[in-house]
Amino acid sequence: MTDTMTDRSLDELGPVDYIVVEFPAEASNFTGEMVDELLALTESGTVRLIDVLILTKDADGSIEATELADIDDLGPLQAVEAQLAELLAADDIEHLAAAMDPGSTAGVLIWENLWAAPFASAARRSGGQLIADGRIPIQAIIASIKADEAPITQGD
Amino acid sequence: MPLRAARVGRVGVIGHPVAKTAVVAKAVTPGPAPVAKTAVVAAAVTPGRRRRI
Repeated sequence: MTDTMTDRSLDELGPVDYIVVEFPAEASNFTGEMVDELLALTESGTVRLIDVLILTKDADGSIEATELADIDDLGPLQAVEAQLAELLAADDIEHLAAAMDPGSTAGVLIWENLWAAPFASAARRSGGQLIADGRIPIQAIIASIKADEAPITQGD
Repeated sequence: MPLRAARVGRVGVIGHPVAKTAVVAKAVTPGPAPVAKTAVVAAAVTPGRRRRI
């Protein structure tokens, strides 16, 4: 791992998230649009990219990982690549690729939520401890509001 | 392509095999009525929605 993550005090770090975005073989449509949005998030200071990998899962289940630096023409991503830390270990790559379908390609992104860092630091300084976090699926929100809207049947 | 040396032999941070998140995959798939979905979600997160405990 590079020193990128250790240069800052751990107390100043924001929450770190990851996503695996899968592109099935028949549905890949790389237009650069994702790169533009990613760069906008980093340039605005909303997030800091920590690690990026491109994973390919063959039909036989074997996995190949490509570093961003190994891509010939990174274009505007070049500046971001220089700041990455190699946080993910080989075991992590196996674990993340478990979610992929054979024959697909996936982008793995690890990022720090810079927008949340000052609040998280303040909470820690105040003695707070993170005891739970998570993400609420959109489907759960839809189900909740629809349940509220459903007519109450007689006898309930 | 071989992994970089820095990634080999280290303790990982993920900890366990990751399962495909079907619900998220469905969420980003354009459905028959994306506008209606957006309206429903917007209503759900609008301030003032009554909370019952």
